[in-house]
Amino acid sequence: MFKFLYSSNIYLLIENIIKFINSIFFIILLIGLTFALVLSPPDYIQGESVRIMYVHVPSAWIGLACFASITLFSILNFIFKIKFFFSINKSLSPIGLLFTCLAIITGSLWGQPTWGTWWAWDARLTSMVVLMFIYIAYILSFKLIKEEQTAIKISSLIAIIGSINLPIIKYSVIWWNTLHQPASISIGRENSIHTSMMLPLMLMLLVLLLYCALIFLMKYKTEIIRIKRKNIKRL
Amino acid sequence: MILKFISMNGYGLFVWLSFGITLLTCSLFYLKTKKTLKKYEKEFFNELKTLSEDEKREVLKKSKIAGTIYATGNKAN
Repeated sequence: MFKFLYSSNIYLLIENIIKFINSIFFIILLIGLTFALVLSPPDYIQGESVRIMYVHVPSAWIGLACFASITLFSILNFIFKIKFFFSINKSLSPIGLLFTCLAIITGSLWGQPTWGTWWAWDARLTSMVVLMFIYIAYILSFKLIKEEQTAIKISSLIAIIGSINLPIIKYSVIWWNTLHQPASISIGRENSIHTSMMLPLMLMLLVLLLYCALIFLMKYKTEIIRIKRKNIKRL
Repeated sequence: MILKFISMNGYGLFVWLSFGITLLTCSLFYLKTKKTLKKYEKEFFNELKTLSEDEKREVLKKSKIAGTIYATGNKAN
């Protein structure tokens, strides 16, 4: 049913999408950076340090979205026993780990000028660190376990159990009294962020999403080659 | 004006470090991913070369992926 995910047509389509993203990426990156670093106004309380938001917030969103996708594909893998979902997860997890780490590092760099500290064992920050460790455990599970079926089972279990952390991250700023501010942007509610800041934020999100798509496709292509190579005589 | 832009009213270090670290790690990660992909393509191409002519013809006929990699590898050589 899902054999098309490894087919030649998908491979060629991936090649074309990679070429397309490569051709537009730098233009969108330049526009995003111009808005984020030059055109957007400083915040009336935080001043120029608010510009860190344009890399911190999209990084955190991507880190969370990647793990939510990994959980979904792991559940589908448990139900349908389809290996392709594992290949997708293998390609997604390093991207998620990278952006979770970036969210933590840029958050720390934002924390020093605004809170006066690089780090606090605050609920939001701690739950993000926990997410980083879950990502590491997930990646190690398929790097260290040689037997593929066991690796799929263990990594899927890590993802499903680890997904408990996602609502904790999301609602940590509501459930506990934290240093971290509550969400300024949420679906279905009025945003507390002005358009002059929303536009650069969305542009930087687009830039990072394009980057993620590029990396994901390159990794997925590598996975396809790895599988084809294993079965070269049976092609 | 340029100095004011760089210093960002005293927040320059934090802002530039945030953007710099993000751009640097993303670039390194991109290069590493690309290198791994090229390595796998090269290994696949070399494996195709080791096949007998009949086997190679059969594989290239059946798989567009093998065909694409073989053509790219030949062009690179």
